[in-house]
Amino acid sequence: MRGYAPILLLVLIAALLPVLVWSLSRLLRPRFPSAAKYSAYECGITATTEAREKFSVRYYLVAVMFLVFDVETVFLMPWAIQMKELAAFGLIEMGIFLFLLLFGYGYIWSKGALTWE
Amino acid sequence: MPPMTLLQTIAMGLIQIVAVLIVVFIMVPLLTFAERKVIGYAQVRLGATRTAGGRKGFTASLNRGMWAMGKVPVLSFFRGLPVFVADAVKLITKEDIIPAKADRAVFTLAPILSVVAAFGVFSAIAYYPGVMFYMPKSWPLIGGLPFNGAIADVNVGLLFILGLASVGVYGIVLGAWASNSKYPLLGGLRSAAQIVSYEVPLTLSLLPAVILAGTLNFKDMSVILSTGQGMSPLAVIPLFIGFFIYTTCGFAETNRVPFDLPEAETELVAGFHTEYSGMKFGFFYLAEYANMIVVSCLATAFFFGGYYLLPFGLQRIIPASVPFLGHPSFLFFMAKVSLLLFVFIWVRATLPRYRYDQLMDVGWKYLIPLSLVNLFIAAVIRYAF
Repeated sequence: MRGYAPILLLVLIAALLPVLVWSLSRLLRPRFPSAAKYSAYECGITATTEAREKFSVRYYLVAVMFLVFDVETVFLMPWAIQMKELAAFGLIEMGIFLFLLLFGYGYIWSKGALTWE
Repeated sequence: MPPMTLLQTIAMGLIQIVAVLIVVFIMVPLLTFAERKVIGYAQVRLGATRTAGGRKGFTASLNRGMWAMGKVPVLSFFRGLPVFVADAVKLITKEDIIPAKADRAVFTLAPILSVVAAFGVFSAIAYYPGVMFYMPKSWPLIGGLPFNGAIADVNVGLLFILGLASVGVYGIVLGAWASNSKYPLLGGLRSAAQIVSYEVPLTLSLLPAVILAGTLNFKDMSVILSTGQGMSPLAVIPLFIGFFIYTTCGFAETNRVPFDLPEAETELVAGFHTEYSGMKFGFFYLAEYANMIVVSCLATAFFFGGYYLLPFGLQRIIPASVPFLGHPSFLFFMAKVSLLLFVFIWVRATLPRYRYDQLMDVGWKYLIPLSLVNLFIAAVIRYAF
């Protein structure tokens, strides 16, 4: 586990770096607050409605499809490393798995989930 | 050699981290400068040639110096180099604005997350297989310790890189959400959908490399794939296809042209970072360029020959007895990374932006089936030959 110590160190440094630079720039930068400056940017027009509205369900659909395919790659990863050792058995197993997945892929395609208008 | 104590591990880790960060902090400003210049020359103009300033004082003499540089053939390309210093000074001294309606804590956290995801990845990348040099014997604590080609040579390197790199999308989405403004929200949604869509073919395009190498260790994978030891010559095919799928997805993951829809100026002002200013924007910018370097490093290591001269397992043509060309070198690695970074800029100067439905089509309808077929080819080659 000792090998992972430098990774933790780099993550800590990367997290502290912005804080450090922001504190430095706090000493240098001007600050002239005004109501217009702190309002949300909308091309110069005063915002009339709240920004946090309902968003298109398309984005939700993409997230769900991503989840399915990402879990698939998680399954594929250990198989890919042990490919030679698992030999024909692994190849056939993965062939069946990928065939089932392709079936589902064809289904979402035929339902129009992949077509973006 | 006795095993290192915890203090020694931390000290050596710190030294290597500082070395890598210095290289990154030199490369990022140079990259922004190169981007201006290359795009400038691609559009038959000069790009940045001088800094702004008056007729007197420091900037004036700087501008005169750059005017003189313009008369020398090679140096003329590098005038305008002080502009990146001016950029950094401007970003640091700029007023920092957090919109009144924004969620302050998340708004501040988002750039930090982006930077952590972009920089943390550098810890698992190996720049050289093995030890680069040893620290001088006379130094206290760290005397005689090896300076490795990687900050942390972990055996699940690739998995770690993919995992941490995907944290970057949180920085973008959280920043967009916390801004509480319409353009950032739309940009953030687009960005999340895009990055998530291209993450699948990205991982699938790396799998043939994993199959052929049989390991997840960054250094071992790179050495096996470029020297082609134990690999059939046919392995060139899946590696070649994988290289193109990976680079395409890399463009999408880093929000670069032609996939820069989250930042499409004509529609979304500046996308997810519209409300950001000063160094908070600066760190998003830094993370984007660091991500470009990461994508280039990965593409180089796994598909483009890594530390060796020739890519795609062709290195076996050159026997190890040939001096310099037959051996792995840090220089080959950096040269290839720079070449790929140039391709990033070149593509930006050449291609127009995709429409959103085209972007989704390329990801889901072309790249995913193609990478699955590529995976199958690699599996058959590994199994049969």
